[in-house]
Amino acid sequence: MNRLLEWLDHRTGYRNLLNEMLYEPIPGGARWRYVWGSTLVFVFAIQMITGIFLWAAYSPSVQTAWESVFYIQHEMYLGSVVRGMHHYAAQVMIVLLALHLMQVIIDGAYRAPREINFWIGLILMQIVLGLSLTGYLLPWDQKGYYATQVTTKIIGSTPVVGQELQNLVQGGSEYGHHTLTRFFAMHAGLLPALLIFFLVLHIYVFRRHGITVTNPRRAPSADFWPDQVLRDSVACLGVLAVVLGLAIFKGAALSGPADPSEAYSAARPEWYFMFLFRFLRFETVEHFGQAFGAIYVPGAVMLMIVLMPIIALVRGGHRFNVIFAWCLMIVIVGLTGLSLVEDGRDVEHQAAIAEADRDAQRAVELASGPDRIPIEGAGKLLREDPFTQGPRIFAKHCASCHRYDGHNGRGRMVMTADADTGGEHPALPTAADLGDFGDRQWWRSILTNYRNLMKPLANAGYDVESSVEYGMISWFEENVEVLTADANQADVDAMVEYLVAQSGRPGLELNQELLQRGEEILSSGSLTEGEISTCDNCHSELGGEFELGTDNGGIPELNGYASYDWLKAFIDNPGSEQFYGENNCMPAFADKLSSSDMDLLVRWMTGDHAATQVAPYDSKVELLQAAVDDSSESEAAPADDQPAADAE
Amino acid sequence: MSDSQAPGGSEAPRRSFFVRALTAALAAFLGLVPTMFGLLFFFDPLLRKRRSGTASAEAAAGEKKDAEGFTRLNVKLDALPSDGTPMAFKVRDDKHDAWNLYKDMEVGTVWVRRTGDNEVIAFSSICPHLGCAVNFRTGRKDFFCPCHTSAFDLEGERMNDIPPRGMDRLATKVNDQTGIWVKYETFLAGRKEQIATDE
Repeated sequence: MNRLLEWLDHRTGYRNLLNEMLYEPIPGGARWRYVWGSTLVFVFAIQMITGIFLWAAYSPSVQTAWESVFYIQHEMYLGSVVRGMHHYAAQVMIVLLALHLMQVIIDGAYRAPREINFWIGLILMQIVLGLSLTGYLLPWDQKGYYATQVTTKIIGSTPVVGQELQNLVQGGSEYGHHTLTRFFAMHAGLLPALLIFFLVLHIYVFRRHGITVTNPRRAPSADFWPDQVLRDSVACLGVLAVVLGLAIFKGAALSGPADPSEAYSAARPEWYFMFLFRFLRFETVEHFGQAFGAIYVPGAVMLMIVLMPIIALVRGGHRFNVIFAWCLMIVIVGLTGLSLVEDGRDVEHQAAIAEADRDAQRAVELASGPDRIPIEGAGKLLREDPFTQGPRIFAKHCASCHRYDGHNGRGRMVMTADADTGGEHPALPTAADLGDFGDRQWWRSILTNYRNLMKPLANAGYDVESSVEYGMISWFEENVEVLTADANQADVDAMVEYLVAQSGRPGLELNQELLQRGEEILSSGSLTEGEISTCDNCHSELGGEFELGTDNGGIPELNGYASYDWLKAFIDNPGSEQFYGENNCMPAFADKLSSSDMDLLVRWMTGDHAATQVAPYDSKVELLQAAVDDSSESEAAPADDQPAADAE
Repeated sequence: MSDSQAPGGSEAPRRSFFVRALTAALAAFLGLVPTMFGLLFFFDPLLRKRRSGTASAEAAAGEKKDAEGFTRLNVKLDALPSDGTPMAFKVRDDKHDAWNLYKDMEVGTVWVRRTGDNEVIAFSSICPHLGCAVNFRTGRKDFFCPCHTSAFDLEGERMNDIPPRGMDRLATKVNDQTGIWVKYETFLAGRKEQIATDE
């Protein structure tokens, strides 16, 4: 063994190299405060290792980038851990970088004779930031797509060559396949190669001048190996634990597939660019032109850092540099904090995040389904999914009158401008809440709570007490006592069961016993205790198929109620004699909605879509009720409005 | 660790060895953890059991494929030469590829020969030697692989020792109305025995 090593050493000189590497004397002994450089090298090693393995599974093109990352994250063996490590190690690297830089500045390690190495370090920092930026786009999810749009637009605002530079970076005038191939080549090829080159240089020059020691007499001098290496390793172990912990227990996020046609209101850069993002939000900054805030100011700050070794030549220069660095840190932390607090309080932003999460979960759900991802890409899955698109169409076309569990379908309150204060307050609904439309709860409300269900109509100045609604109201008043009697609750359940069965919705599970009893009651009108007048006294007879265009004299059709065909026909023309006739006050949407939008909306409202585990948006019913109560109180005082509406 | 800072005493050399060993072990562990995770991830094709989206044979059954896995070739028996000259047909099927499911795409070619009134035999066109596509030579009336000159007779038996086994026979069904159905499978190359590749 010894002779073999002798031979190897003779041929390669490896012992010399090892000695050179390991037996670097550290005046004053090994210290914990020297570990940061090594942790950075270690994190970079994690990135190289996990990065190369991820490379073996990643596919950079518009139709396959998100898809391959989805496959890594949700299907491949330990994929979520490897991707999670890569994701969080990148963030840990930024933190360590900041620590390392601050330490170098505070200890004065940037000063002669180490100024060149300081500059090499700054180059390394730029490369790492470049890696973060390019890596953020690669999953091709909404988050990365929209955040990177901002970055490339900033590149486009560079004076003189902006547009050319932007096109060069993104491989054309718009994002596409070549944006990904270029970003990927930068991320996995050029930038790591540069990083390795400068890192070797950085360590070489570092060794030439040795570590910056503040107090060499603190302890006897020690070698790098093993004393310092042990400390470095323990620190690296801590870093590894953090990275692994985050990767396993938190996991890297993957938002919905990038879709240029789908606005993404939750767009934010990664947290370590948040300060820059927040800085650009100051209107004053924007007044100086886009390049000022995005390029000149950061450029000037970088220049100040680059010049530090020269500034330090002046008396008091080092102190100035340290103060500058601290101020910069405070500003960065302050702006980041400000941004996070503002976002936390921003109801709109929180709603946007909730929607983004919903889309992300749904995309994964659909992509894992039996049909996998179509060749056109996963964006198509969401674009053609009623569960995803229905709420958006509802919010656009229906939510000006209706609500859905108190919100606009997309989880947001419907607001209206406040003339007095310039702010806004919740708008009052002027039609029924459709959150449970066609469900058992909906029918229960009709039978036992009709007046309340239709109450919002009054907000539109529509007189519920007259016309067709009056017919229903008076039926309700007549029968409410019987229907709410304790002894009849099982009967009400049975009626609900029979009525809900009219929709024939897919996936509806019916209780046959209840169904039969319901039919009995609704044809005879006699409950356990008392009697009601049956539906067919006014409505068409129950139990048949829905047929388009039957003339019911403006009394809504009950056959197929809340089924796909029924609802589509209703939305197409609610004022037809089959539905509300002349009493209708809802616009006809046959010409207002495209047939595909109509299809998506109706399928969503009737539950005709791939099953989902995604949680519904939080109900806003109580919030809305509070707003309604508020407004009725304030309206109670000046009662002039009321008679005027009646007179009409 | 505080030990290592203590100035050397009588136990110093032993402690120093302990520190060295510990440090080396720790450093090795640090390198090993990400590498192991990465390698296991890379071994996904061998390690992963669950494959989502793979529908069962029964569920996939339809006009083009039946519950036993036979695929319809869309050719009637009468369309085949009665002298037993083989003809090549494309097999269409759904194909899984990682995250995609390609509906009804060409997944392979089979050689089909009529051997009787109501009988056919079918061979996979994939050479059992190393997987090139086997051709039919009309002049010599044999199957011939252009890559490494494997040759097979009309029954698919080996005519030289280059291929390890004869051509892969595929199960067939003949139906008067719907024509010829074939159970399309692929097999491991280079083996003496016919072993199906697992999906």
